[in-house]
Amino acid sequence: MIGFTHFASSRLHGKKSKRIVFLCLMLFFSIQFLDALAVQRFPKPEFESGYVQPETMQPAARAEMLQIADVIVLVIMLSVISWLVVKKRSRLGVFAASVVSLAYFGFYRQGCICSIGAIQNVTLALFNSSYPAPLAVIGFFILPLIFTLFFGRTFCAGVCPFGAIQDLVAFKPQKLGTRLNAVLGLIPYIYLGLAILYAATGSDFIICRYDPFVGIFRFNASFAMFIFAGTLLVSGIFIARPYCRFLCPYGVLLNWISRFSWKHITITPSTCIQCRLCEDSCPYDAIDLPVTGTNPESRGTTIRKLILISLLVPFFTVLGGWTLSTVHETLASVNGKVRLAKTLVEPASSVNQTETIEVTAFKSSGKPVAQVYAEASRVLKQFYTGSWILGCFLGLVFGITLAYRMVTKYQKDYLPNKGTCLSCTRCVDYCPVRMGDDNLPAI
Amino acid sequence: MKRKIIIFGALALLLLVIVFIAWDLFFNKPAGNENPYAYDLKSLRSGDSTQILFAEEQHFSTGLPAIHGIALDKSDHIFIAGENGFEIYDPAGKREAAIPIGGTANCIHVDQAGQIYLGMQDHVEIYDQKGRQLKTWNTCGEDAIITSIAAEGKDVYIADAGNKVVYQYDVTGAFHKKIGEKDPSRKIPGFVVPSPYFDLGIGRKGELWVVNPGRHHFEQYNGDGDIMSSWGEAGMSMDGFCGCCNPSNFAIFSDGSFVTSEKGIERIKIYGPDGVFKCMVAGPGSFVEGTRGLDLAVDSKNRILVLDPEKNQVRIFTLKKQVTGK
Repeated sequence: MIGFTHFASSRLHGKKSKRIVFLCLMLFFSIQFLDALAVQRFPKPEFESGYVQPETMQPAARAEMLQIADVIVLVIMLSVISWLVVKKRSRLGVFAASVVSLAYFGFYRQGCICSIGAIQNVTLALFNSSYPAPLAVIGFFILPLIFTLFFGRTFCAGVCPFGAIQDLVAFKPQKLGTRLNAVLGLIPYIYLGLAILYAATGSDFIICRYDPFVGIFRFNASFAMFIFAGTLLVSGIFIARPYCRFLCPYGVLLNWISRFSWKHITITPSTCIQCRLCEDSCPYDAIDLPVTGTNPESRGTTIRKLILISLLVPFFTVLGGWTLSTVHETLASVNGKVRLAKTLVEPASSVNQTETIEVTAFKSSGKPVAQVYAEASRVLKQFYTGSWILGCFLGLVFGITLAYRMVTKYQKDYLPNKGTCLSCTRCVDYCPVRMGDDNLPAI
Repeated sequence: MKRKIIIFGALALLLLVIVFIAWDLFFNKPAGNENPYAYDLKSLRSGDSTQILFAEEQHFSTGLPAIHGIALDKSDHIFIAGENGFEIYDPAGKREAAIPIGGTANCIHVDQAGQIYLGMQDHVEIYDQKGRQLKTWNTCGEDAIITSIAAEGKDVYIADAGNKVVYQYDVTGAFHKKIGEKDPSRKIPGFVVPSPYFDLGIGRKGELWVVNPGRHHFEQYNGDGDIMSSWGEAGMSMDGFCGCCNPSNFAIFSDGSFVTSEKGIERIKIYGPDGVFKCMVAGPGSFVEGTRGLDLAVDSKNRILVLDPEKNQVRIFTLKKQVTGK
């Protein structure tokens, strides 16, 4: 009874909090919109009073001590959030921690340095010996993975500012169903693969380029990026954390590692009484429902499935590799050297066309055209190999996903899916069982 | 059903984001053949032509090598100042006199007594209608750039863009005070003048109006130098003042309305006495791109005289016939 009262009061309290959060967010985004509409003043002042225009300055790199401080804050936040999730099982605590993280890593650190983007720095450092990845970047890449190995995706729960800002707007989360989740869940793999391919070839840091929230954290989003982030957040009202679940490339790594986590959050602290209260509590569709073995598969069916899987997975792997290798030139068109070489090769299609900035810069550099072609040719070869690897990887992921859906997994309790669960602890509040309630009868 | 619609809508938004990324990454050619950092105002130069209620009725060329200032006397005679001289025209645009001077006049004003005040680089020269120099006032300092003069009663106000201040003299040439210096205790913001366009004028009740171009404001001061009111806002839209520092010039109608000119996007507009935008007189299409210093004057028939330094012309604009109904 106490458990149900607690449950009802927490729901009422939750509604009021949601309203306050909604109003605060409306105010915050109104301010952002004003910034997005800002116009640049022109022309430059031409008054000649002896005033010398200052040279354009590059911002200095963050001091080493402050970088270390960032890593220390990350470790502290990861420790606190893991304790709150695994030991205290406190939704309020997780929410408070995520607000702190949003303030520090989001608005104070302006979304940079971030673990998601660090994938690219680490990749580039692995493939290009002349690029040393800063220790802080490596720390931001590795530490959440280590904590995930021990405690599940607690980083996603309340340390990642991207997750925190989306969590604030998840007012009316809807269930998408397992099939839709499985299909959309393939997108982060594509994003991760492309991000690694472009970082490895030194082409682009696409995760940073399409970082939806950094403009909001910095109060300087362009109109296009403001709409981009706004669209994600609006869809996030109904599809909780759309970036985390269906775009985040770092989430792929966390998903893999979390499956092997040592101490993952559980819905019930004791014995599951099958009350079904938690069934709809997860906004991320990350609770695996009980599948009882009342009518288990026959041995023949299982063997047929295994044979099919063993054929399908290699087939999709090779098919994926071959498919992407055929479009490697399109993939390579993102690379600046390839783009420049293409522009130099292709004749101007119209008389009025003026040359691009890249062409102008190249001409003023005095480099021979042959050098550009040679460099572009080398990059194209890298993309050919890379697109084979990427295609095989995506085909493998697709095959495994398909195979995973073909296999029936038996379990008797409501359990968080260790891969997709973001450890937000919402389900914990729904569970009427309290620590030590071992004698409650099953319903 | 409602749930399905919500999910469908939210999914559509999510897919929109993914499509945007894919399109931008693979199909959006970076800046094409255009320099994304080029100083290009083309998109801002096209305006709503239906807002233009005036038409150019007449124009005439001047005999000066370069022209900088225009003024009218009480009988609507036109005075043009510029390089090495000033000229006098009758209201129909027929030249009556051309008076040479030693230097370049940046601005010109004719008081009620018919005395002609020429704002040279750092001092003021006063002439009579026959071109005889009556007086030269002391220099305003080596940094001075005098850009506008207006007289009201015994007071003469001089705008100095170099020192970003307005001087109050009397008609005898005695200096009285500086107006508009930054003074938070008197709520005077100070003039922000990044370009040598700093205009002032006298309103219908004898009040002093000064443009604060960097703030895109008109500021009204009394004779004691206290700020009385202000209006104006920055913006690319029709009712705002664009760029770093505008308006560059203005004149005041007999009913207290303001006619203003801007540089960057060359346009001439009319605002009511309360600062509310009324209409356009001429848009960017009426001027050579890059024209600056479109000095203005309004005669007793409410014709707007625009000094066009690029064409070296005086251009006279009147209300369109379909507006007046005549």
